[in-house]
Amino acid sequence: MYEEINFPGQREGETIILFLRRHWFIFFMRLLLIIVSVIGLITIYYLFIFLNSNFQESEYYNLLLFGESLATLFIWNFFFILWLDYYLDAWIVTNERIINIEQRGFFVRNISELKLTKIQDVTSEIIGVIPTLLDYGNIYVQTAAEKERFTFYQIPRPNRVKNAIVQLQEKEEKEEERELGKIIRGNG
Amino acid sequence: MSLISLLYLIFILVYIAIGAAIVFHMLRYKINRRVAAIMCLIYLGGGILLLISSISLFFSVNWYQIISNLRF
Repeated sequence: MYEEINFPGQREGETIILFLRRHWFIFFMRLLLIIVSVIGLITIYYLFIFLNSNFQESEYYNLLLFGESLATLFIWNFFFILWLDYYLDAWIVTNERIINIEQRGFFVRNISELKLTKIQDVTSEIIGVIPTLLDYGNIYVQTAAEKERFTFYQIPRPNRVKNAIVQLQEKEEKEEERELGKIIRGNG
Repeated sequence: MSLISLLYLIFILVYIAIGAAIVFHMLRYKINRRVAAIMCLIYLGGGILLLISSISLFFSVNWYQIISNLRF
């Protein structure tokens, strides 16, 4: 299912169980400013036409179009900056670990990982009317690692993801105990 | 008029610099190769079209007439 996905430090034989991004609604809310700007540009154009029926023949018509083209260039870049900010943030749960990829603006990227066996506690949280209706929220993973808390922000179906992580963690712990048992018996 | 051209040139250079950073991030940090390639093509295609139309509109404006009207 996740054959097209690749992430830094991916190991051979490592299977991606879950690939998560923020809920689409979060991106949509950020896009609202762009949508309002585009509507504003269109409104300004038709307002000028409406206020002066000969406006298209005046020298200011091209000036208006030029101004709107500058605004469009800005909006175009701004849209893709928002998209990159959304697209390059991801949480990946594999059969071995959890990886958090966080892009903070241009040229600042944090990648942290957490082994499943280091997980001590997993909590999911949905707060608010819209998150409840759309089923998105946060997951907090308490760890025994250097970074004490791993957080998944605004992800879809957090309860289901939490259950999946807990199951994976228990499976990985049992596997580790089995390996340890083999080593002890082998030495005995 | 040369001041307007200079300001516009600076704006275009800033736009191209930000565009280069966007393309760099799309290609360098792609998580899904197919999506990254498609979005990169859309960005470049749309961006170039918008840039060409902006430049042609800049040259279509009668700056001398507009500035003269502002002075009076």
